[in-house]
Amino acid sequence: MTQLKTEKTASLALRRTLRRHGRDMLLVAPFLALFAVFCLWPVLRSAWLSFTEYHATTAPRWVGLRNYADLFADERFWRALANTSLYMTLVTLLSVALGLVLAMAFGTQSRLHQFARVAFFMPSVAGGVGAIAAWKWMANSEPYGLINSLRGWFGLEPVRFLGDPSWSMVILVAVGVWSVMGYHMIIFVAGLRSIPADLYEAATLDGATRWQRVRHITLPLLRPTLLYVGITGMIASFQVFYEPYLLFGSVDAIGGPLDSALTLVTYLFDYGFHQLDLGYASAAAWVLTSILFFLTWLNLKLGRASEPH
Amino acid sequence: MRPLPFEKPSRWLALARLPLWLLMASMLVPYYWMFIGAFKTAPELVQQPPTFWVSKPTLQNFHDPGFNDNVVDPDHWAGIFQIASEGFGFAHYYLNSLVVTVFVTALSILAASFVAFVLTKRPFPGSRVVFNLMLASMMVPWEVTIIPNFITVATLGWINSYPALLVPGLAKAFVVFYFRQVILSISSELVDAATMDGAGTLRIWWSVVLPLLRPALAAIAIPVAIAEWNSFLWPLLVINDAQHSTLPLQLGRLAGNLSYNPQSAAVLMAGALIASLPAVALFLFFQRQFVDGLTAGATKG
Repeated sequence: MTQLKTEKTASLALRRTLRRHGRDMLLVAPFLALFAVFCLWPVLRSAWLSFTEYHATTAPRWVGLRNYADLFADERFWRALANTSLYMTLVTLLSVALGLVLAMAFGTQSRLHQFARVAFFMPSVAGGVGAIAAWKWMANSEPYGLINSLRGWFGLEPVRFLGDPSWSMVILVAVGVWSVMGYHMIIFVAGLRSIPADLYEAATLDGATRWQRVRHITLPLLRPTLLYVGITGMIASFQVFYEPYLLFGSVDAIGGPLDSALTLVTYLFDYGFHQLDLGYASAAAWVLTSILFFLTWLNLKLGRASEPH
Repeated sequence: MRPLPFEKPSRWLALARLPLWLLMASMLVPYYWMFIGAFKTAPELVQQPPTFWVSKPTLQNFHDPGFNDNVVDPDHWAGIFQIASEGFGFAHYYLNSLVVTVFVTALSILAASFVAFVLTKRPFPGSRVVFNLMLASMMVPWEVTIIPNFITVATLGWINSYPALLVPGLAKAFVVFYFRQVILSISSELVDAATMDGAGTLRIWWSVVLPLLRPALAAIAIPVAIAEWNSFLWPLLVINDAQHSTLPLQLGRLAGNLSYNPQSAAVLMAGALIASLPAVALFLFFQRQFVDGLTAGATKG
């Protein structure tokens, strides 16, 4: 009797929910289905694949932690991790510092400054394959390559920028800083604008020098922006892919000369899509994810620790 | 916008800016080099020392009327619009990119705005969970999902087809999140009043919410469109024929084969130039919206 009653109320509640929300739920269903198939399910599937051996032709076979063990035993993986860490550190430090300086230098509404901001921001807009192709052509090893011609003016010998392992990281970092510096600048400009102007006026009246105003007003108040730019910059540069792929990649040597330009994502791409070792590549993806989570956590922790009391 | 507190010009600061102006000039060098390279003849392109302007401008890197496939002629080569693989030329890739960009941008943004509206103003049982799942999915880097998505698309038989380019990118959680922030600020009374008048959810979304979202739509559409236009990795995985190739994909193939053959380099510069132009034009026309869209996530919260 009571069971019948609860069933009845349950079905009533369901019917009422459907009457009130059924149409809405039906309307969002296609989106949610796509989201589930291409955003949620892949996360679970990738986690599972990372514990299997899977070459796309036969069914995945459970191998436990073997992919992870192989990964950590692979010298190329450590090479890729070292390259990526170096790249991330240099690009983030340089582009955040330059972005901040540029925002302070070119932050006003004058025409000239607006033009400068557009120029710095250009790679964020037209930074795709075309721009990298232009870089590749500028960095070519012949004496008529632009960078080599400039070196020639100073009496320096032409360099094989894309063929000499000691130059790979230099070119990669230059392209990396070039691409994101202007983006950081734009965000810093927005951050600077949110600082109340009367703070500066008051400080000036109190006799603070320009440097003191930067040190004691700008930087502390810009801390959330700095944290945001720092974290997103690190995450994005850690996942660098198409710059090294296009500058150095060819099917037989995706990492450039002696793997000097191998990054974690090109490494993952190499194993996943050239060698179709999809289980192994999934393991690499999860290691990369763990590193990104750790970096974010570390940043937030350091950011909180430096909070003024 | 208020002016920044750094305006009073000091002579020393003006001098200190000099290196920054030089930096700005060097920012544009790759584009300048691409631009003049596109109009140089092949011999001029590899001339030493290089010319820093174009002494004999030519359009033959785009289209060379004197080019004949059967005759080897050092003065004539196939311009970017004449290079054909499997019968498909550059105009075809251009069109592919354009269609993919417009379709994915328009549909993903409209859908996301609707979903954000329902989740915010018309919550149904479970909508909170759905939203939290979307938030969580935004933290997962794309490297994780790209492998299973590749397998899914392959299983569906979509390799080398338009659905592979169009469908997987339609559900964008970060756009839903972006619209939710904006829709939260729309007063619920407005929505309730429309409901009283008998308007359904779709109707309210279309006639009440969308008009209010117009600035937000523009602000998010531009970065989404530019990301789609430049999208390279996903097409690289799922497309390996000419018919479905997009512009970046084909350009990447040309750049991958960039030898020191001056003619192919000249043609590549022409291709790079016309591939960059639409994004630049879009940006120059909609600068304000662009910056708004980028900084929305950074300065709030």
